[in-house]
Amino acid sequence: MTGDVERYLAVGAALFTLGALGFLTRRNLILMVLSAELMLHGVSLTLVTFGRMHHSFEGQAFTIFILTVAACEAGLSLSLILALYQKSKSLDVELWSELREPDLPPPMAEEDREDPSPEEPAIIHYPRLTPAGIQPGPRETRFSDDANGATTTVRSNDQPTIHH
Amino acid sequence: MDWFITNWMLVSGLLLSALGLWLLLPRAGGRLTLFGAAIALVGLVQLVSTLHSANWTAGDSKLTETILFSVFSLVALVSAVLMITNRNPVYAALWFALVTLSTCGLFLLQSAPFLAAATIIVYAGAIVVTFVFVIMLAQQSGSTICDQRSRQPLAATIASFVLLGALLSTIHTWQGQQLAHKTEPTVTAANPLSRLAADEPIGTLRGLGRSLFGDYLFATEMAGTLLLIASIGAIAMAPRRAEGRL
Repeated sequence: MTGDVERYLAVGAALFTLGALGFLTRRNLILMVLSAELMLHGVSLTLVTFGRMHHSFEGQAFTIFILTVAACEAGLSLSLILALYQKSKSLDVELWSELREPDLPPPMAEEDREDPSPEEPAIIHYPRLTPAGIQPGPRETRFSDDANGATTTVRSNDQPTIHH
Repeated sequence: MDWFITNWMLVSGLLLSALGLWLLLPRAGGRLTLFGAAIALVGLVQLVSTLHSANWTAGDSKLTETILFSVFSLVALVSAVLMITNRNPVYAALWFALVTLSTCGLFLLQSAPFLAAATIIVYAGAIVVTFVFVIMLAQQSGSTICDQRSRQPLAATIASFVLLGALLSTIHTWQGQQLAHKTEPTVTAANPLSRLAADEPIGTLRGLGRSLFGDYLFATEMAGTLLLIASIGAIAMAPRRAEGRL
């Protein structure tokens, strides 16, 4: 039982620290909020560990309150992020660095803020599923006209488009 | 200075982990991904061995719990590192879901099954899905330049690992002074319904409900009100079209 508490506390401390590091370094607004949720995970783990150590339900009750606050925080932050996105059309938090105090230096170095070098793509596309099977060619549709009994063949050239 | 000499294992493990994480953070140009991951892993192994040799020798009697704890905590930490260093925000959100699942495994090991279920439902079921939805709504083409640069990586790494060192050394030294009789509650006057009965196992749903709706009844009501107010505020703050219709 001796070392049983400390290792959970160590994992909780490491999760909290990693969340803090993500919150400080990431520039995507959504990932900053997710890093804050990671810090909440570390705190929840610590609370549950202390509750078990003291043989009471208080730690688990506190963790349920943390869950409530996390759900509220996610909803409010998402609506705030959407409102900011409507104004700037980007999720970059650096676009809002003009809100700082006027005598403070900019929060990032200039060489990190400028555009990417030409050999580096500005946008890394999301992965897409590779299309399976053979690509259908121009298909032939046969239908019979009931009025005169003749069979007509219609060739259509609309190929299914695959977006890259 | 003597503290650094006596705890050089802990300090060097922290330094190695910090260096590996700093190398892993997204920046301009190529990243030394494999090198950084190797250094961070070496630092993690050194930290674990430092803390393990002092503290965790009693884990042999409960081998299953030790193995499960190792698996869950390793998955949680590695996924957290991958989440904060990934250049693609969708992958980062999915790694966060994996962190949530591993944390729920740790909750189960701590005999908190209701918390594990509630955390999976709230986080992995609601929060991560909504965040991925917003990411796909906002960045439809892919990850932009703001995901491929970190903001002050060196200063942030130093600050967070100073915090981690303080926390770990506190846990490390606190171990000798912990309560000798952990089964006896220290304070019995406050929150009597949250205490365990004599032969009651911890983690039962009945006891948790007794604590929530007995000792913390007003706090529970306040939490419900907070949820209501937060949902009203989110609806009020959400952007809408100029015509006034959603």
